Amino acid sequence: MGGREKQLMEHTTTQVNADNTKSAVVRPPMVELRGICKVFGHVQALQGVSLSVYEGEVIGLVGDNGAGKSTLIKIISGAYQPDAGTILVDGAPVQFNNPRDAMEKGIATVYQNLALVDQRDVAANIFLGRELVRGLVLDQRRMLEESSQVLQQLRSDIPSVEVAVGLLSGGQRQAVAIARAIQQGAARLVIMDEPVAALGIEETRKVLRLISRLKAQGRAVIVISHNLEHVFSVADRIVVLRRGRLVGDRYKSETNAAEIVHLIVGAERL
Amino acid sequence: MNEEHESLEVRSRVEAALDDWEALESGDAAVCGLPERRGLLATILRMREISVLGAAVLLFVVLSLATPNLFPTPENLLLVARQISILAIIAIGMTFLFIAREIDLSAGSTYGFLVVCLAFLISKWSVSPWLAVLITVLVGLIIGFVNGTVVTRFGIPSFIVTLGMLSILRGFALLLSGAWPVLIRLPQEHSFLNLTAGRAWGTVPAQVLWMAGLMIIAGFVLSKTRFGAHVYATGGNEEAAILTGIPTKQVKVICFMVTSALCGIAASLLVGQMRSGHPTTGTGFELDIIAAVVIGGTPLFGGAGSVLGTLLGAAILGMITNGLVLLGASAHFEPVAKGCIIIGAIMVDTLIRQRRV
Repeated sequence: MGGREKQLMEHTTTQVNADNTKSAVVRPPMVELRGICKVFGHVQALQGVSLSVYEGEVIGLVGDNGAGKSTLIKIISGAYQPDAGTILVDGAPVQFNNPRDAMEKGIATVYQNLALVDQRDVAANIFLGRELVRGLVLDQRRMLEESSQVLQQLRSDIPSVEVAVGLLSGGQRQAVAIARAIQQGAARLVIMDEPVAALGIEETRKVLRLISRLKAQGRAVIVISHNLEHVFSVADRIVVLRRGRLVGDRYKSETNAAEIVHLIVGAERL
Repeated sequence: MNEEHESLEVRSRVEAALDDWEALESGDAAVCGLPERRGLLATILRMREISVLGAAVLLFVVLSLATPNLFPTPENLLLVARQISILAIIAIGMTFLFIAREIDLSAGSTYGFLVVCLAFLISKWSVSPWLAVLITVLVGLIIGFVNGTVVTRFGIPSFIVTLGMLSILRGFALLLSGAWPVLIRLPQEHSFLNLTAGRAWGTVPAQVLWMAGLMIIAGFVLSKTRFGAHVYATGGNEEAAILTGIPTKQVKVICFMVTSALCGIAASLLVGQMRSGHPTTGTGFELDIIAAVVIGGTPLFGGAGSVLGTLLGAAILGMITNGLVLLGASAHFEPVAKGCIIIGAIMVDTLIRQRRV
């Protein structure tokens, strides 16, 4: 599908949302960053980064090693606090002191190492730290049911929610981590750090498909990846960081791999 | 209006295409079925404890065949159950710690110190026995709190912290008692003696009932409560547990406190039975406790294990001790047999797991 259709789609989403809020004003971005700065000792990790994230769009976040990608997503997910700048959710300024705060605002993060407990089964991992109880007793039945529902939503091919996570393939583990992010945070924005870095071709395809599913459900997704081919196949917008600055914010239809590479490495002209 | 309508149509077409594409791609039809209701037998066969249970049954059969008139009698079996009860009670706490990927080497010393403590309170300070038991368990909780806090706040491995505590508490046991046994005098029919060393219905020793009750409670907490789930998560992947908001330090401190409090209960049972407290009680006992946990299938690297397995592990150790006596073997042979069982148990467990994965 062409870039025009994509933009039309986004346009529609904005309008539908505006109708929902029963106001003539266009709905503010789900998450907006304004002038975010972060310093580690003598290193300026981020210098005045501003970014808007809308629901139902996939943003590919690219940049060389040390460009500030990880720092930026850690700030959005509440793991780090910015030294300057503001984070707004639905137009209102917020402060995240920890990942829990961000999760409560609908921002969930799938970490690169996935943070799964290998010995425990799929359901236990999806409800990790947020186990359902009836009185004093774990509500095992409901956790199993809801886990398989979320995984079905993602069309994952995990055979059973009672399998230990350590026995699953890389792509299936990724699906469990994403399912947890959705289940626990009712996530409107899912942040994924290098989701396909350690996966084979088939598994990669499945994860990219998962990202499309999240988008189709109306969620926003930020994906960090080094692989431009993957970024172009899944993202609507590509955001480039270089040495802590946001140097490019392009719709996929307006750009190409060559331009993005130039932005990443900082060459003067095309 | 027209444009909006058009774009909506585009949108639904895009979604339909996406769905078609997915349906086409996932020939594996993406079924993530609900758990089937498994049969009882299948459930039993899937349990980790199955190999341990097999070993326990095998040992039971062999000893029964070797000494048919001595081993399988109700009196002897109750004796074995009583002999393992103190070991099993403390091993419950060690199971919690192992699952949370920690260890308490001071358990034997804690037990010995609390035995002296309790006997001292009753005999020298004339504290009423039940109040003395309460104080002893509280002292146990404090010891566990100190162990757990030093481990979690300062990030020192529990192996080192509890090794230090092992030495400290043995020293205190000797200082408090002057290295002499502390004798207590209580009327024969006192409820403390009755409930720690008596027999229910004239047959079942009180210690066995305490063991059974504590095992059931601990098994429930570990497998059916949120705290239990957090213990497994803490030991399985601490980083993941922290990221999902589980207070792993608190979980670990509680596990240390459970272990030391159980040492206090075990100490009360021993004092009731012996009517005295010996300062060398429990020397080297931590190794038997760890052996019971490890034989019971709880791995050293956390995240898995069960109280039922630990009970079976303690039962295997108890049957070996008892069986060797019945067979007339030299008492010095007992540690040799125990050592072989420990190594054998781990080998079997490792082999089974390698095949399963």
